[in-house]
Amino acid sequence: MMSARQGALLAAVIAFTAGFAASASSQTAEDLKNDHLTPGDVLVYGMGYSGQRYSPLTQINKDNAARLVPVWAYSITDNRGAEGFPVIKDGVIYTTAHNATMAIDALTGSQIWRANHEYPPETLRVVCCGIVNRGAAIYNGKIIRALLDNQIVALDAKTGKEVWRTKSPAPTSTENGYAMTGAPLVANGVVIAGVAGAEFSHRGFLEGYDAETGKHLWRHYNIPAQGEPGSETWHGESYLTGGGSSWVTGTYDPELDLVYWGTGNPAPWNPRARAGDNLHTNSIIAIRPKTGERVWAFQTTPADPFDYDGVHTPVIATIPAQGQPRRVVIQANRGGFLYVLDAKDGKLLAANAYGKVNWADGIDMRTGRPKHTQVYHDALAGKKVTVWPSVSGVTNWQHMSFSPRTGLLYINTLHVGMTYEAPEPPKLVPGKPSGTPTVRRTVVLDDPNVRGYLKAVDPMTGKSTWETPYKSPNYSSTLVTASNLVFTGTMTGEFQALDADTGKILWSFQTPSGIVGQPVTWERNGRQYVTVMSGIGGVYALRSGDPNLKNVPAGASLWTFALFDK
Amino acid sequence: MMLDRVLRIVAAALIVGGTLTAHKSSAQDGAKIAAGEVVYNTYCATCHGDGLVSSGQTFDLRRLEAGARSRFENSVLGGKGQMPPWKGVLTSEEIDQLWHYIRDNAYQK
Ligand code: HEC
Repeated sequence: MMSARQGALLAAVIAFTAGFAASASSQTAEDLKNDHLTPGDVLVYGMGYSGQRYSPLTQINKDNAARLVPVWAYSITDNRGAEGFPVIKDGVIYTTAHNATMAIDALTGSQIWRANHEYPPETLRVVCCGIVNRGAAIYNGKIIRALLDNQIVALDAKTGKEVWRTKSPAPTSTENGYAMTGAPLVANGVVIAGVAGAEFSHRGFLEGYDAETGKHLWRHYNIPAQGEPGSETWHGESYLTGGGSSWVTGTYDPELDLVYWGTGNPAPWNPRARAGDNLHTNSIIAIRPKTGERVWAFQTTPADPFDYDGVHTPVIATIPAQGQPRRVVIQANRGGFLYVLDAKDGKLLAANAYGKVNWADGIDMRTGRPKHTQVYHDALAGKKVTVWPSVSGVTNWQHMSFSPRTGLLYINTLHVGMTYEAPEPPKLVPGKPSGTPTVRRTVVLDDPNVRGYLKAVDPMTGKSTWETPYKSPNYSSTLVTASNLVFTGTMTGEFQALDADTGKILWSFQTPSGIVGQPVTWERNGRQYVTVMSGIGGVYALRSGDPNLKNVPAGASLWTFALFDK
Repeated sequence: MMLDRVLRIVAAALIVGGTLTAHKSSAQDGAKIAAGEVVYNTYCATCHGDGLVSSGQTFDLRRLEAGARSRFENSVLGGKGQMPPWKGVLTSEEIDQLWHYIRDNAYQK
């Protein structure tokens, strides 16, 4: 029997929930939690808190994918890299560029509003890897995004009008080497945002802001201060300029109430300036969203000479591991190993190479540390070496997808090595460039016609069931559907659908520029759509000098495709 | 003359450590070119590409011709479009070094 008090409580709970359900434009914490189950909208970066980029939609399938056609295209009016993740709610697409946020009618492609964001021109001095933005979060009728000059801003989803704006507190500034390019993640009512800047001698962190008011709640430095646990892994004051950024968005497990985030490379690249393991750079960390408390951390590349920036999004999945289904986080790490960790405590369950690696022979399953080869030791000693993978990694920031149907990851990988030499390191001050100039390197290729593969990879073994070669590596993210289709884009602009079972390219469409964006799929009125941004840019396009990209025009646009319906 | 040219190339290679493209370089120019490469790698390569080779989306600095010095200085100091201003960051000596490095690798000598 229910007591009177319990009855009243229950009524209150029902009224409370109904109140939320009634306001259709609100994206409650519950909506965000169920994003992966509601294919009519795309609310969370990575198509759900797990970051699997998997959709249950099956209208577009292997038999009809060749009939995909564009429904509309929309000009972003920008020539920089279009890396953004489109958010979709109630028939409206929200997308971002470095200097604008846009709302677009999802069925017609017409603009509903555009909010322009200005920043001081000096901001661009500390943007290492493309003048970009990777997307917005949506929460309770607000579109929440980061600006290059380290501000978080919330816009009214209906009008684009500013609701709140908060500047990341000191010492965050352009002068001190900080910039914000990533998409925030809203977890448990808290906006979680990271920073870029390990190439400019900053000290990286994650931050929490109140999603309703923008109030700054906490900051978690990825690098401990002197005296804190882990500070013994830094020499002298090197931690103050130690890098460890957080520029790629993480994931969230609402049951465990843990946010998973990858942290970046130590600074400077030149390892001779920072003896020690350099905790917690190149790590996967688990954080309480309300407080920023770190619950566990796992370091992938201690004392990293090669810029194996460990920021790749830890994808959450339940997979068979060591004889039973387990809740795990999976990270395709830049250094070339695919890590599977227990989501609860970070225990290492598997770590296998998923591309060409010569700096380590494998990972010690007891300690989690790389088994270094002579290449690594020589590099640390200042000798010239040829190392695989290159600074760009076996994969870079582009997101993989995971299909619970096939149990496989779909990863766009690079097949590029480098010569490397670390001379005597310079003295560092915050804000001063600390990437490229501190080491010497050149590109090494096995085959100039194969600089990358899209691979279907078993998370527990790192082995591929298929590999589709590409002339230039794809920096587009992937998307996988329940009809076993994988969507991705190429640097030269083709948007493609591949067979998830064989890797065969089933459909390809030439967009106006190169694709470095993040495809998503959604449905409305019984029709399935696929949306992606086109617009070359980002670190590879800017720096690699890849001759295949010579005739790829710049220019960002947003594209939506569906099956030809006549 | 052929021999003269060979000698000049060898001399330039000695001075700048392997850059065979150097043209009529004095020892002083060679030092400037080498210093300019360091400045370039520090501040410019992120957007203009490793070794001045961009894949075509950002302004190709190797296009700058001998007469473009003042345009170069104006753009570098004041910025242009999404090119940030470098006034207050780079000294006039560093800008001179950059100019020598870029011109040494330019399409039109
Ligand atoms: C954050 C990216 C970025 C960085 C860093 C950068 N540039 Fe640029 N630069 C650009 C862009 C973008 C343009 C094209 C500007 C336009 O025409 O709108 C450009 C154009 C130029 C131009 C041609 C301007 C003109 O007159 O048309 C010069 C010269 C130049 N850059 C020199 C440099 C030098 C030297 C450095 C290093 C000190 C540097 N840039 C660093 C982005 C950058």
